[in-house]
Amino acid sequence: MDVALVCTVNGIVLSAIYIMVALGFALLLSIMGIFNFAHGAIYMVGAFITYGLAKTIGINQWVALFISMAVMGGFGLFLEKFCFRPFGGKVFEVIVMSVAIILVLETTVVVTIGGSNRALPAFIPGTIKFGVVSVSIDRIIILIIGAILLVALTLLIQKSMIGQQMLAVAQDRESAALQGININRTAAIATAVACILATLSGSFMSSLYYLGPFIGDGMLMKAIEVVILSGIGSLGGILAGGLIIGFMDAFLPVYLPNPLVAQAITIGVIIGILLIRPKGLFGHEVS
Amino acid sequence: MLKNRFLADKRKITKAAIYAFLLIILLLLPKLGISIYYVHILIGVFLYIIMTSSLRLINLSGQVSLGHAGLMCVGAYTSAIISKNLDWTPWLTIPIGALVTFIIAFLVAIPFSRLRGLYFTMVSLFFGMAVLAINEVFEKITGGQSGMVGIQRLFGVSKIPYYYFCLALMIVCLFIMHRLEFSRIGLTWKAVAQSHSVASSTGINEARQRIICFAIGGFFAGLVGAVYAHYYVVLSVTTFGFFTSIYIFIYMMVGGINSFYGPIIGTTVLLLIQPLFHNVIREKYIPFIFAGVLLIVLYLLPKGLFGLPEQLRLWTRKLRREEKTALQEEVIHRAPRN
Repeated sequence: MDVALVCTVNGIVLSAIYIMVALGFALLLSIMGIFNFAHGAIYMVGAFITYGLAKTIGINQWVALFISMAVMGGFGLFLEKFCFRPFGGKVFEVIVMSVAIILVLETTVVVTIGGSNRALPAFIPGTIKFGVVSVSIDRIIILIIGAILLVALTLLIQKSMIGQQMLAVAQDRESAALQGININRTAAIATAVACILATLSGSFMSSLYYLGPFIGDGMLMKAIEVVILSGIGSLGGILAGGLIIGFMDAFLPVYLPNPLVAQAITIGVIIGILLIRPKGLFGHEVS
Repeated sequence: MLKNRFLADKRKITKAAIYAFLLIILLLLPKLGISIYYVHILIGVFLYIIMTSSLRLINLSGQVSLGHAGLMCVGAYTSAIISKNLDWTPWLTIPIGALVTFIIAFLVAIPFSRLRGLYFTMVSLFFGMAVLAINEVFEKITGGQSGMVGIQRLFGVSKIPYYYFCLALMIVCLFIMHRLEFSRIGLTWKAVAQSHSVASSTGINEARQRIICFAIGGFFAGLVGAVYAHYYVVLSVTTFGFFTSIYIFIYMMVGGINSFYGPIIGTTVLLLIQPLFHNVIREKYIPFIFAGVLLIVLYLLPKGLFGLPEQLRLWTRKLRREEKTALQEEVIHRAPRN
């Protein structure tokens, strides 16, 4: 029972993080039609900026987090303007571009800070007891912030003008442009939002687990799993996909005799779903 | 007419001369006393050229696969496990590995053939991850992350026989792929890539063509994987990870996706960056050079490295034209004054 409770909390935290990262990946995929494989590297750099500001300069960690989010948001605008826009939605050129970005970012971090793993201190240290189980406050904070953010994002996408424009562009670029939607502006905002979400989740994850120059690669895999499972072009489906993958990642390694089987089961489930529904759980046809 | 024919003949002769020259250089290289390190690097280049070209073969039918290293992994482990556990000679297990990869690629391609474009790319990427996960589950046989050791060697310890073997293998594979591309079946694939609905309206079974194309590409990937296993003798799943697939894809893109020679040039240039620069600058700065090459190709050479001469010609022509117009403008400006 206690193990199940801990797993549930972990599952929700992991799901929130996966959803935030995958949402950024999916935003770029559905709005610009590109694979941004550099998303994992952005996640890592955001965490490192928070770490650098908080640890070496000594700013309050929350302030450091906000500065880092602002910096990475600006970096997102830069990326859209100079790295993605010139290639106008050509998927395969952008894959090469994103690998170049990964190489530059990871190598810069390795050269300047070093390749060893380190840890970001907890945002709020301490634990809360639920009966016999104690859960660190950090996890609960992340859970709350993640939930608030997801609600805010859903509202942003469903209710606000820019969100509706994003959905329109995701559905059909050309028709959206014909309706007078500024595609480039939409794409720039989407990239900035994606980078900010990645920074936030990167900083939180590295306070829970560890921080290293290559943490982004694993997270990128998870984001891709979530996006494939939910289907391209469906932003709402990411919530369900993230919850499924997050809970599988939290429960399977604990309850299975061999943790390596967990990954295979996750992939097996996704392949099974894809065989039945090739477009993913909630995807629709994208030409 | 006659002149055209003469030009065509001349071009053929130059082409043949270039091939012969390259072949002689490659044959003589180990005798010229290059260090064993470069022989090792060149063997890797030969193997990866086959990988990249086979990826382009799959791409001919309009399918962009990002799980090519997964197919390589299947071939490598099949051959290694059979030769290690049954003690068969690698000469037998390498073809078996390639054939098993062919069959697996064929079976996998059947459900994949329902998908097109981005969806195919996503799912193929996922196929690569699935192969690794399955590999890690059967850790007792495959060694998982810690690696598999004690695989039989194809030749002795010396690298020279491997060099000639891989060179021959590369030439044979490239020849077959070249013939395939410019044969009827290659044309069919190109038709499918251009428009699947038009292709099927002319009586092409486009799903079947794409399955066959993926399976043949898989055969070459499995062959390379099997040879790789018996050359490096140590296998680890990390060699065949997601980023290996991405890098193979990048070699193809950088070389130029539209030309048969693109993948060859791209693989050679990008794989030689590391050995050429490791004495010049610190090891950890080398990824910057790699990224620089990628950025230059992306921004300046839309047709990849293969399109470099054509692009240079365009630039010089443009420059000359600008000079000319500048000159003309000057003349026009001066005219009333004089």
